[in-house]
Amino acid sequence: MAEAVNEEPARIGGGGLTDTEVENNKKNTMVEQQGSTLLRRLEISVAEAEKRTGKNTVNMQETFTMYLIETRLIDVMTEGHNPAPETLWRRYSEFELLRNYLLVTYPFIVVPPLPEKRAEFVWHKLSADNMDPDFVERRRVGLENFLLRVASHSVLSNDKILYGFLTEEHGWKQLVYDTGFQAKADSRIKALSATFRVKNPDRRFTDMRHYSDELQSITSQLLRVRARVADRLYGVYKVHGNYGRVFSEWSAIEKDMGDGLQSAGHHMDAYAASVDDILEEEEHYADQLKEYLFYAEALRAVCRKHELIQYELETASADLISKKQQREELATGIVRTFSFKGMTNKLFGQETPEQREARLSLLEEQIVQGEVTVKEKTSECREYVNGAWVDMQRFKEQKDRDLREALVSYAVMQISMCKKGIQVWTNAKECFQKILSSVLMNTDQIFVG
Amino acid sequence: MSASTPKALASSGQKPIQEMCHPLGLEEAAGVLTPSPDVGNTRNSIGEKDLSLPNGTPVETSSPASSSSLLNRLQLDDDLDGETRDLFVTVDDPRKHVSTMETYITYRVATKTTRVEFDLPEYSVRRRYQDFDWLRTRLEDSQPTHLIPPLPEKFVMKGVVDRFSEEFVETRRKALDKFLKRVADHPVLSFNEHLNAFLSAKDLNKRQGLALLTKMGESVKYVTGGYKLRARPMEFAAMGEYLDMFTPKLGTIDRIAQRIIKEQSEYLVELREYGPVYSTWAVSEAELEEPLEGVASCIANCSSALDELTEDMSEDFLPVLREYVLYVESMKSVLKKRDSVQAEYEAKLEASASRKEEGTTTAVPTDVEKCQDKVECFNADLKADWDRWQNNKRQDFRQLLTGMADHNIHYYEKCLTAWESVIPLLQDQQSQETRSDIEKD
Repeated sequence: MAEAVNEEPARIGGGGLTDTEVENNKKNTMVEQQGSTLLRRLEISVAEAEKRTGKNTVNMQETFTMYLIETRLIDVMTEGHNPAPETLWRRYSEFELLRNYLLVTYPFIVVPPLPEKRAEFVWHKLSADNMDPDFVERRRVGLENFLLRVASHSVLSNDKILYGFLTEEHGWKQLVYDTGFQAKADSRIKALSATFRVKNPDRRFTDMRHYSDELQSITSQLLRVRARVADRLYGVYKVHGNYGRVFSEWSAIEKDMGDGLQSAGHHMDAYAASVDDILEEEEHYADQLKEYLFYAEALRAVCRKHELIQYELETASADLISKKQQREELATGIVRTFSFKGMTNKLFGQETPEQREARLSLLEEQIVQGEVTVKEKTSECREYVNGAWVDMQRFKEQKDRDLREALVSYAVMQISMCKKGIQVWTNAKECFQKILSSVLMNTDQIFVG
Repeated sequence: MSASTPKALASSGQKPIQEMCHPLGLEEAAGVLTPSPDVGNTRNSIGEKDLSLPNGTPVETSSPASSSSLLNRLQLDDDLDGETRDLFVTVDDPRKHVSTMETYITYRVATKTTRVEFDLPEYSVRRRYQDFDWLRTRLEDSQPTHLIPPLPEKFVMKGVVDRFSEEFVETRRKALDKFLKRVADHPVLSFNEHLNAFLSAKDLNKRQGLALLTKMGESVKYVTGGYKLRARPMEFAAMGEYLDMFTPKLGTIDRIAQRIIKEQSEYLVELREYGPVYSTWAVSEAELEEPLEGVASCIANCSSALDELTEDMSEDFLPVLREYVLYVESMKSVLKKRDSVQAEYEAKLEASASRKEEGTTTAVPTDVEKCQDKVECFNADLKADWDRWQNNKRQDFRQLLTGMADHNIHYYEKCLTAWESVIPLLQDQQSQETRSDIEKD
């Protein structure tokens, strides 16, 4: 499984990256900039989305969305050229295939999640339709974010298949299937759905597993409640819009209050309309939370895989121990533990020396084999633990940074909402105050006249 | 919304509603009152010596402010109509009375005046709702040409509203206070003898009023409304039209305001659930504990600001709309009365005209002239009251709507402060990191 890492990474010229490019990439994503990642060499973006209609495998008409991936070599650009980007189209399902491949190939990596396939945790005014332009746009941003995260990952970004995904429109799928990852993927799913009782669990991994459960439940709870909060906020704002109409109708029957009411009505209309932008912006925050909801799943997968490897190691060493014990019993003739074999021996008499010899040599062979297996499994496990631990630490840092930033931008959104609110109500107040000033002006005129 | 859970009146507030005997209900029993310790505490109890005037008016001896200083103070208030005020009334200090027969609330009605019609500069009496009701009926009967301000609705749905809850009593007190102030500010109504009695009499003899029905009142009642007017003057027709159009607007605004309060309460419920989720999250995030707690407490602050907004709106906004709904009804009934007075005049004029044709008499009979006078008088009174009412309405709605804007601005300002104060908490670590990064570089 670690083969891909050792393979020659897909090289596209030397490093060389201007500060502005780094800045640009930093601005676009919250990805790491350390190490020799693909993103240092290649500019990646999901530039647009397009609705298409075509026939699927069973010859049925279907509508789907294609995403345009644009890539440009950075060192070419730094040399002063400005070539047109390489472009190719991908479907969401192809992104899914890429991610599944990465999951199977790098089980010790917390693989960045894809944006949701279907809109979840939506407040009722938001369309849950897959073809809705707003949803498609949010997914485009999410897919780009996914690619940037993968391309900036120190391990994942050097994968050949990833590079193929970005640069080879045709034949890429075949390349993926040729890796034989599908077979591994199936066993992986089976393995991850089973439960194992590990004798010596690694505290760090059980803690992390526990954390991933917490992260998942808290983010989904937060998203659920936030959607309801958004619903109610929408209601509060929109009902104010009714004032707009009644004030304007009322202004028609008033002589002195009319102007003030009429313009106050406009401000109430504006107030009601402003909630659309507010909530659309908040949806971005929800997407940031959603990414971590799905990240929780990826983190758990890494922990589960560790359990599985640990379990295999423990089974192998238990097997080896029992083989060694059998050999000892056979050699000394002392049955230490109750066994079926011991019973048959007692019942049917001792076996012949030839038989014994044959069995002993078979056991010896198995023990040698078992020792190799245990050794392999031990190093596999150690390697896995090391790799996974490094990536989990990386994930933790990334998460803390991202969430902090998400919270800041959320607070900034709330501040701008409050400022808008104050502005609208201050404008409305000025209009309401006109209700009387016009009357005072009239009386003044009377006194003057 | 807290309004849905009425607090027990006696349990909170600096002025608990003491249970005491109703002074009005015990007309001849000054002696009966004194043995009760409760009554001894009430300031206007009849036990106070020698201050009763010939008409039996009790005086508040422990008045904090002299009437003249109060006059000065109150005249500074936005007295936009330029009328000089010399009669000040307040309704306050609601108290609960429990007797074997009934339980009810009385309110203190305090009066300060320089008018010669009053024997004393200050009065303080206790009145209950039905006394206000009596006053209003008397005013309506004795001044049929005038617009009498509305009283809050008498009947409340039993079980739905707790009549003795602090909220209900306070809302009603405000409405009664508004009613009495409107009457006291009126250039004609404020000189009404029933008002005088209501404000100053120790015992309100409610029977008395019935005998004093003016002839005007009787004649108004006499005419039935079925008569079709020949020509209702344009201006009164316009008033009627205005009221017909204004009423649905009021209703719509009332419905919108109630709906907003409902939406806000539901929003509050969700916010109160939303904040604590961040607190829960903070427990499992070592690095993010402070920011998440910060967001949680920020949302809590916004929740209480919202709670306040909703409460203010339901206490300040809705009752004013209610009052105007009732005010419109009063205005409509005055308009109807005016129509019937005109109808009476037209009928008499017609009768006399036909008699003239028959040649029985040549002169216009005096009762027709009287009727004409009455119509003109009514028209003048009504026009004056209408202008007054329009002026009041403008002032009230200006105040009401700017108040709404102020409450909302206040709410957003509180939320703004909360969110702005949480930003450094969120950024703190980050900026420290960048700082140390810069140092490393």
